Amino acid sequence: MAAVAPTRTRPPWVDVIGGQLLALGGAFLFAAIAGALIIQAYGVSPVEVYRIIWVYGTSELSDVGRVLAHATPLIFSGLAVAVAFKAGMFNIGVEGQYIVALATAAAAALTLDFLPAFLLLPAVLLSAMLGGVIWALIPALLKVRTGAHEVVTTIMMNGIALSLVAWALLNPMRTSDQGVIDLRTDIFSTKALIPKIATTFGLEEQIPPSVHLTWLFPLALVACWLVWFLLFRTRLGYEIRAIGSSSGSAEAGGISIQALQIKAFLISGALGGLVGMNSLLGDRGYLAHNYEIGLGFAGITVAFLGRNHPFGIALSAILLGLLARGQDGVAVSFDLPSETLIILEGILILSVVVAYELVRRALNRRRKHAVRTEESSAVPRERADASS
Amino acid sequence: MTITEPSTAPAEGPQGPPLISLHGITKRFPGVVANEAVDLELRAGEIHALVGENGAGKSTLMRVLYGLYPPDEGHIEIRGAETKIATPRQAIAQGIGMVHQHFVLVERFTVTENIVLGSEGGAVVDYGSAEKRVTELARSYGFGIDPKALIADLSVGQQQRVEILKALYRGVDVLILDEPTAVLTPSEAEDLFDNLRSLRADGKSVIFISHKLNEVLEVADRITVLRRGKVVGETVPAQTTKEKLAEMMVGRPVLFRLEKPKVEVGEPILEVEGLEVEGFVKGVDLRVGAGEILGVAGVEGNGQRELAEVMIGLRKPNRGRIRIAGTDITSGSVSDVRKHGVGYVPEDRHNRGLVLDMSIWENAVLGRLDDKEYSGRGGVLFIKRIKALASRLIREFDVRARNIGVDASTLSGGNQQKLILARELEDDPLLLIAHQPTRGLDVGAIEFVWKQILDQKAAGRAVLLISAELEEIYELSDRIVTIYEGRITGEYAPDAPPDELGIGMTGGRKEGTAG
Repeated sequence: MAAVAPTRTRPPWVDVIGGQLLALGGAFLFAAIAGALIIQAYGVSPVEVYRIIWVYGTSELSDVGRVLAHATPLIFSGLAVAVAFKAGMFNIGVEGQYIVALATAAAAALTLDFLPAFLLLPAVLLSAMLGGVIWALIPALLKVRTGAHEVVTTIMMNGIALSLVAWALLNPMRTSDQGVIDLRTDIFSTKALIPKIATTFGLEEQIPPSVHLTWLFPLALVACWLVWFLLFRTRLGYEIRAIGSSSGSAEAGGISIQALQIKAFLISGALGGLVGMNSLLGDRGYLAHNYEIGLGFAGITVAFLGRNHPFGIALSAILLGLLARGQDGVAVSFDLPSETLIILEGILILSVVVAYELVRRALNRRRKHAVRTEESSAVPRERADASS
Repeated sequence: MTITEPSTAPAEGPQGPPLISLHGITKRFPGVVANEAVDLELRAGEIHALVGENGAGKSTLMRVLYGLYPPDEGHIEIRGAETKIATPRQAIAQGIGMVHQHFVLVERFTVTENIVLGSEGGAVVDYGSAEKRVTELARSYGFGIDPKALIADLSVGQQQRVEILKALYRGVDVLILDEPTAVLTPSEAEDLFDNLRSLRADGKSVIFISHKLNEVLEVADRITVLRRGKVVGETVPAQTTKEKLAEMMVGRPVLFRLEKPKVEVGEPILEVEGLEVEGFVKGVDLRVGAGEILGVAGVEGNGQRELAEVMIGLRKPNRGRIRIAGTDITSGSVSDVRKHGVGYVPEDRHNRGLVLDMSIWENAVLGRLDDKEYSGRGGVLFIKRIKALASRLIREFDVRARNIGVDASTLSGGNQQKLILARELEDDPLLLIAHQPTRGLDVGAIEFVWKQILDQKAAGRAVLLISAELEEIYELSDRIVTIYEGRITGEYAPDAPPDELGIGMTGGRKEGTAG
């Protein structure tokens, strides 16, 4: 009687998950083919290149260790970007936040040396988070007080952070050891360092010390779960998502937008503070002027690729770790410029983004039609007694 | 649910051979049949109204005719010859033009430039002669349009006429108008109807999509009713009534005259004194008692939004007092105001009412998380309880949704509004502020919303109804005030004639009523 075609009986989430998997698969396939064309142009076999990437990333325990070690900072920076993004803000300043956090963590590791190990390491990590929070607080306040856009202010804060840490390394934090020409701090005592997973499990044989897979990696996974819980299971996360999706409706519901924006930005900064810890406390044990930069910007890519979902971020960070490890393999095995894999990464990100958007639109169209049919075919119910 | 199908016997009207006939048009979308075996005949020189609820398939059918969707089955005949229309360009070549609900005009171009756009006819555009033609067209159909005016300087009604001229310039004989009055004021709508009548006098045909039954009865020569993608009847205005049309559209009788419950007006619930919002609200005094519905009538943009927002706490007043049941809530935050028992149905449900890409259950607790029932001390949500609440709300308010996990954006306008009402009325607020509560809704949903508002009154609650729809104001209010440029310009009994309200709505003060 109603104008309903033989309808699908599968539940809607099947479409959603299925659609996303399809999008992901399609994007990978497209990126692989596009990448193959570029690799082919250098006269190298693409199949062989892809095989080498896989082999270098997965064949031995130490390879997996390298991939996960590379993923660790990316998880934190991806989460930092995502939390701000969920509240409708772009934290481009994760870069500056983790750079400042390197300095605050190093200061804590050196000055709180009297603490026992079980207190020192948490204190150092907290100092890192505090450094990130302080560096995020300034743009957050500027945003709610003056309306200054966070993209502009955080980029400026990044520049300030670089100069500030350079100054600190030249002056108050520079090692007093006259024999050292390097621009660096004193070396931290070992109790301030994060233990390596290989050491804990006695796997030094299989995983050499050059692999910096530390307990920070499981901590990063815990952070993913915590952020997921925050966003989807707590009032604060609910309000963050509400202001990010529709600030007007959230406001009319009595949510204070400015207070929420500050909170979200500070959480983002705290996560950002942990980005540099794997190399500071898991690798070097001191802060030197040539610390790794760019991890904050990489977080934008990670969050994008992971759809701003904490679990997606963990997966995308590992994927980027795999590609980074693959780069080593490609460099030694083929006569290919190392930029090839960076191009491949770029193609992959773009195709994932486009594919998701296509699937989202298709699902929306389908849902709209489905809902309309349901409405028009549903039998009108008696509403006289429906009032509360 | 058997419905006695209204008579579909061919009715009187302008006679003549069909200019366009659609035969057995079926259009499917994944999982849905939007149009099923639809036959439609359009004669030369008639205004043909296509009515139906949202989602009945009116727009889809017209998109098929305009070449935007290919039909899955069926064919189109133009002047007796079967014709394939694959693109809008082909439709225009066949003399069919369409004016969409949302205009596609370049704001910084003149009227003529916009009209010529897309049919320049060569590399060098002869604006002089184009302007002459536009002037002639505008004059012959009585469109008061200056061809040299910038679009940005025109009112919405005038922009719509430019869209119509655009089609006429391309020489169309058939004009499809998709919900043309949705964006117009009542007087602009009257002007549009005059324009349509002069088009008809010139032998042009108009297909008029609408769900406003009064205007359909006023302007149409013939009316075709769609329901769930099928034609359920064809009639002429002389042989039908608003009630009969509504029944055909919805599939059951619709009450237009709702019984106003008789309730003794009690203690004042809302008292507003000398309220000022710089530039918008100028010295407004209002008073609504328990069990009373006060209607604030006015043309949109006269300070209504600011008035509503200042009362719910979204804006701070520059001067004045607001009391709820005797408690001063002036300058309170939204959550303070809500805690004092105020519910709010905003005029813009997408940007003030719902978070569209959050689920129904998440939207059900928007603004209610201070309630310890739904979130714990540590800020953890009690999801089971929230979902139970949402399930109950959508059941009680008949929100049609697949389940409570789907995004609010997937609901139709009527169901979105029901969800907002359900949420706002859940705490039994002392005062409900309802701003344009039925905007864009179809007949069935309007009836439901009105009934809920009257139920509030019956329960002894106060309601402040702010609306530009006079019918709604009359239907619900116990007392009416008019608002013009931020001032209250008069107070009226619920049976005051519309002309009198019209004076207040355009700024004239009613004798003896101090603002």
